[in-house]
Amino acid sequence: MAEGESSVAEQEPSVAEPRTIDHYLHTDRFPHIWCPGCGLGTVTAAFLRAALELGLEKDRTVVVAGIGCSSRAVGYLDFGTVHSIHGRALAFATGIKMAHPEFTVIVLTGDGDGAAIGGNHLIHACRRNLDITTILFNNNTYGMTGGQASPQTGMGGYATTAPFGFDEPSFDLCRLAEAAGATYVARGTSYGVRQLQKLIRDGITHPGFSFIEAVTQCPTEYGKRNPPKGPVQMLENLKEKAISRKKAEGMTPEELEGRIVTGLLHRDESVPELTASYARMLERIRKSADE
Amino acid sequence: MELWYTHLMRETIDQDSLLVQGNRACALGALDAGVRFFAGYPITPSSEIMEVMARELPAVGGVFMQMEDEIASICACIGASLTGEISMTATSGPGFSLMQEAIGYAIMAEAPTVIVNVMRMGPSTGRPTTPSQGDVMQARWGTHGDHPAIVLAASNVADMYRLTIAAVRFAQRFRMPVIVLADEIVGHMRESFSPEIAGRYRLTSGDFDFTETYIHPEMVREVHPPHELGTLIHPHVTGLIHDETGFPTNDPKKSEQFLRELHDKVVHHRGELCLYDVKNVGKGRVAVVAYGSCARSARAALKLAEQEGIPVEVLHLYTLFPLPVEIIQELARRVEFILIPELNLGQYAREVRRLAENWTTVVSMGRIDGNLITPRDIVDRLAELVGKYESA
Ligand SMILES: Cc1ncc(C[n+]2csc(CCOP(=O)(O)OP(=O)(O)O)c2C)c(N)n1
Ligand code: SF4
Repeated sequence: MAEGESSVAEQEPSVAEPRTIDHYLHTDRFPHIWCPGCGLGTVTAAFLRAALELGLEKDRTVVVAGIGCSSRAVGYLDFGTVHSIHGRALAFATGIKMAHPEFTVIVLTGDGDGAAIGGNHLIHACRRNLDITTILFNNNTYGMTGGQASPQTGMGGYATTAPFGFDEPSFDLCRLAEAAGATYVARGTSYGVRQLQKLIRDGITHPGFSFIEAVTQCPTEYGKRNPPKGPVQMLENLKEKAISRKKAEGMTPEELEGRIVTGLLHRDESVPELTASYARMLERIRKSADE
Repeated sequence: MELWYTHLMRETIDQDSLLVQGNRACALGALDAGVRFFAGYPITPSSEIMEVMARELPAVGGVFMQMEDEIASICACIGASLTGEISMTATSGPGFSLMQEAIGYAIMAEAPTVIVNVMRMGPSTGRPTTPSQGDVMQARWGTHGDHPAIVLAASNVADMYRLTIAAVRFAQRFRMPVIVLADEIVGHMRESFSPEIAGRYRLTSGDFDFTETYIHPEMVREVHPPHELGTLIHPHVTGLIHDETGFPTNDPKKSEQFLRELHDKVVHHRGELCLYDVKNVGKGRVAVVAYGSCARSARAALKLAEQEGIPVEVLHLYTLFPLPVEIIQELARRVEFILIPELNLGQYAREVRRLAENWTTVVSMGRIDGNLITPRDIVDRLAELVGKYESA
């Protein structure tokens, strides 16, 4: 989908039924910009079902995105939504959360948005342990700009900017997030939607920085150049490659080569959350001023 | 002015004569103006602003964040601003360059915030502790696309205080980022100062009381209503061209209308936005137009020139953009030439020239060796020019 394109609302707004995800959608903004077979809508829906489960309030929830096909999700969500600039969603979200700790703050980002241009903000957000939930849609490419290589394209992957095969390794984004200090780290796929929903739900309730990598398919740009072709095949491929953390535990790195380890990968509730420790500091200052 | 008082108590020896640094005065102005969110990244010669904010903001229940870079700093400020918080950041050239994309976002999304740029010599690392006014055009045109800009320039410690207050108020009222330019001299200089001193500086443009603290914005027609996240409206904020609903549009008519509105809200309020002071109105055959630390030299040069038989009019600009078109054109009709001393190669002189050239000659006096332009330098140049124009 070309950058700058947007859907024009010409459809009749559908009647929102409180117990479906339509409750959280600007259905009048449909049709959405995503290609047929794209996994971004699936991941977004998993997030919205998690939101329904938790009963997130529209007025108390702010969803911030960067730039990319994945980040376009915010244009359809009926929360306070910020479609920010490329790579900086977490920096915007940091300002929002610090100014209003009572808001539930969610960040939607892509692998280019979150791990390339926004990589520095990602590691610092992990380190700060602010209570923000980040969902990174990993489709292994720059979808919006037409299939260029992303840090997650992987060795040997093809992209318009890697016509002879990409020769750089990728990040293990979850290990990166954990090492940087995220206190909740999980991975799911657009095939395992129930698991993904649960991981997102638990990430939102986790009091600290939650990082959820959602591995998903971009049939148009990545799938065009890399096997297997076609959305169904790509989803099947995700299913075959996915392996739960439990199962993966006893396996060697060689055996895990090319597999996608899913599930809750790391959780630590002992680290203080930033808005809470900031509030305690304010309290200390107030007390010493009173004395 | 209660806040002001508490902030200074800690270091007050004699309350009537305080020696305050320019950067510090800027931070105090911000606090008095209601800034309650500051995010920044250290850079000479602006760091003292963030250091004061780090100390003082928590005491008033505000948020101070040291971010990982200047991009994150301004983005955090915009994020806080979108929730209705009054935010500010401060930096110098290299950091200001990093902020440009987000400044454009704040213009597009109509998110008020204040960016203080204590200019250093550039390009690149340049000379960090050397004064310069090299970022004037970057402040006007640094971000991409056709966009409006509000840019103020501080010439002394009192200005750092009051123009920061003005910047906050303009930002809130016009719902856009406002840039305050200072140079290293102004940022690092210490002068005796109090809010009363700040109030004593009268402007010819007169309708702005700097001792007044922040007033909630009254909405004018051209200014879009604020989008406060976390309200019952649950708005959508985007850097894409959007219509009045806040959602993106590709409609050519609506796109143009939106972009024009962004400009119009500034241009239509030029009278309110253009802060300036004229000395010797109508008494000089020649004029000096100056801003920042050079304006100080220009004011001093006025007396010196008079003693030497050159009556001169001085236009001291506190607002560089929007351009004070009418003020400059009126001046141009009165004088034989306009001299513009600035610590760059004539960035603002070029702007004045295109406004004034139908009526008068505009002479640029640029200096880029890192030294000041002194009152003597200005008078000498005036004498040269007067000689030249009289013999011609
Ligand atoms: C500063 C900047 N650089 C480049 C771009 C162009 N751009 C838009 S989206 C994008 C990549 C998005 O990739 P990703 O985050 O993986 O999202 P996807 O489209 O694949 O969902 C790029 C490079 C931009 N908008 N801003
Ligand atoms: S280009 Fe790829 S990521 Fe973007 S909408 Fe199409 S399928 Fe989805």
